[in-house]
Amino acid sequence: MIKDRRTIMTWPAMLTLLLFALFPLVIMFYTSFISDATGEFSMANYAKFFSNLTYIKVTGTSILISLCVTLVSLVIAYPLAYIMAKKLKGLKNIILVLVIIPFFTNQLVRVYSWLIFLQDGGILNRLFMTFGLAENGLGILYTKAAVIIGLTHAFFPYMVVTIFMALERLDDAMLEASRSLGASKTTTFMKVIFPLSMPGVISGVTIVFIPCLGSFVEPRILGGTGGLTIGNIIEDQFFEIYGWNFGAAIAFLLLAMVLICMGGLNSAGKRWQV
Amino acid sequence: MKLAKKMLAFGMTAIMVLSMTACGGTKTAQESGSADADKGEVTKLYVVNWKDYLSDDKDFVEKFEKENNCEIVNTYMDSEEDLLTKLKTGGEGEIDVCLPNCSILPAAIEAGLLEPIDTAKVPNFEQLFERFQTQKECIGADGKLYAVPFVWGSTSIAYNTDNLKEAPASVKDFFDEKYKGRIAFRDDYNDAIMTAAMALGQDPNNPSDLDAIKALLIKQKALNKTYWQTGDEFSKLFASGQVDLGLMWSGQTATMRAEGQPIAFVVPADGGIGWVDNWAIPASSKNKDLAYKFINAMLDKDTQKAWVEKGGPAPANQAAAEALDPEYAKQCCIDEESLSHLVFMEYRTDEVKQTWNDLWTEVKAS
Repeated sequence: MIKDRRTIMTWPAMLTLLLFALFPLVIMFYTSFISDATGEFSMANYAKFFSNLTYIKVTGTSILISLCVTLVSLVIAYPLAYIMAKKLKGLKNIILVLVIIPFFTNQLVRVYSWLIFLQDGGILNRLFMTFGLAENGLGILYTKAAVIIGLTHAFFPYMVVTIFMALERLDDAMLEASRSLGASKTTTFMKVIFPLSMPGVISGVTIVFIPCLGSFVEPRILGGTGGLTIGNIIEDQFFEIYGWNFGAAIAFLLLAMVLICMGGLNSAGKRWQV
Repeated sequence: MKLAKKMLAFGMTAIMVLSMTACGGTKTAQESGSADADKGEVTKLYVVNWKDYLSDDKDFVEKFEKENNCEIVNTYMDSEEDLLTKLKTGGEGEIDVCLPNCSILPAAIEAGLLEPIDTAKVPNFEQLFERFQTQKECIGADGKLYAVPFVWGSTSIAYNTDNLKEAPASVKDFFDEKYKGRIAFRDDYNDAIMTAAMALGQDPNNPSDLDAIKALLIKQKALNKTYWQTGDEFSKLFASGQVDLGLMWSGQTATMRAEGQPIAFVVPADGGIGWVDNWAIPASSKNKDLAYKFINAMLDKDTQKAWVEKGGPAPANQAAAEALDPEYAKQCCIDEESLSHLVFMEYRTDEVKQTWNDLWTEVKAS
């Protein structure tokens, strides 16, 4: 009886999702099959995507950029999360706030800050030139590297939080047991800590990789002439030429890719479930 | 319960992906106007226009309302497509006068949404530049006039006067190796293709060889510092000295120069891209006579001159243009010589837009 009442409490949320997420999705899914040229129901939009190498290539670039961002985020986030969870427990709230601050900043402000920081004559360039590390400036702005930096900054906090939560749950007694049984620090990490933090790593990877795949603001502003991603193509379809049907088709292909990735990561995650 | 969980996960993912890709802010249309609720009786003139585009200028509104005992009610449009939608879905008497540009005019005329203009009711029409009196897009298939040109502007070469000794003299400069890494080209399929067509000597509105244009634009890509999309982006690039040359709007160049930046604008002899905004009266308007008076007031020589001097776009009224300080007019490229070099953007079908956008996507992805 009590359980039933609790279920009722989830209904508003479910209804909201149904109305504002699933229902629009169904409409978009329908329009993605409407040909822009003839207005008839057809596979034309999907055929167009796969018959043009440009779209496939841009999708590849987007995936590559997202993978880089995920990897860099993981490398930065893991040690940070570990320190927060196991070494500087007293400071963890302060560090957490510092990590989350980027979320409070408007996305455009964040991107423009990177623009000013990275540009020729910007702080980073002058620093490198002062120390004689680069003669004519780094020329890092308007490259894919700049996009990866901007996106990493935007999304790595997700990774820190998920890994931190997994590591915090990890019982210190296990680490002591590992040590008392003679395992070295490396072995303890490889055999105990890392496997047990895997659920956090996997959810972190998921929440960083997926939004990266569809991002278009950072690539466009920081990537310059080389910053075209699949997100930009969708944006152009919607806002430049009102090609909503084709735009919807690309958005659904992106969604399909995301779902496949999630499925893959999910089954990988099952192996590590405690 | 497991199904519910799965649905939740699916929904969350969908929200994340779609919020990243498909959404963006469409500004809500606002209504303004000097509303005096207690007047009540005065006729209301419903205007659809851009924000800060003279019909909400305090001086203009006060004068017009007083002279005609009416009230101007402005509704702002987000885009040309937005205006077309408003015209199509708006009911009787909802819009009395609006400002379509050439990109949607033919579609609006063809759909029978607009009222033919009787130039006898717009005395100031005769003061317009000859070319604007016969603006192709304003005239329907039946030979009748459906809209009256109001203001115009251009997209052409803006350059740094400190760093470039000589003013660029051709659109070909955008494709010249000597400016490598110092160019900011505009990220816009229409401007890109029209500019490349000019450099190749093709008709910018009906290019004959899109493959050649694509090849040229791909070659041009390496010469850019970056492509810019918002005016603000260009402003920052230019102010920080990262670019010397840009495909830019006349209006923004004037603003930037007024801010003290070493920038100048040229419309070279081989072409620049022009646009025109035109006033039109919807067929469903219930205040056509007042709408005519409004259009006439908008074309008034002194009104147009005053607006340019406040930083508005170029006047279609020749008398207003001639009354400006010639030096100022030349600087802003709103003189007759610049006007004669412009190729005005024409209406494009959805199919052409899609083809051009695809081409531009391929250039950017190359």
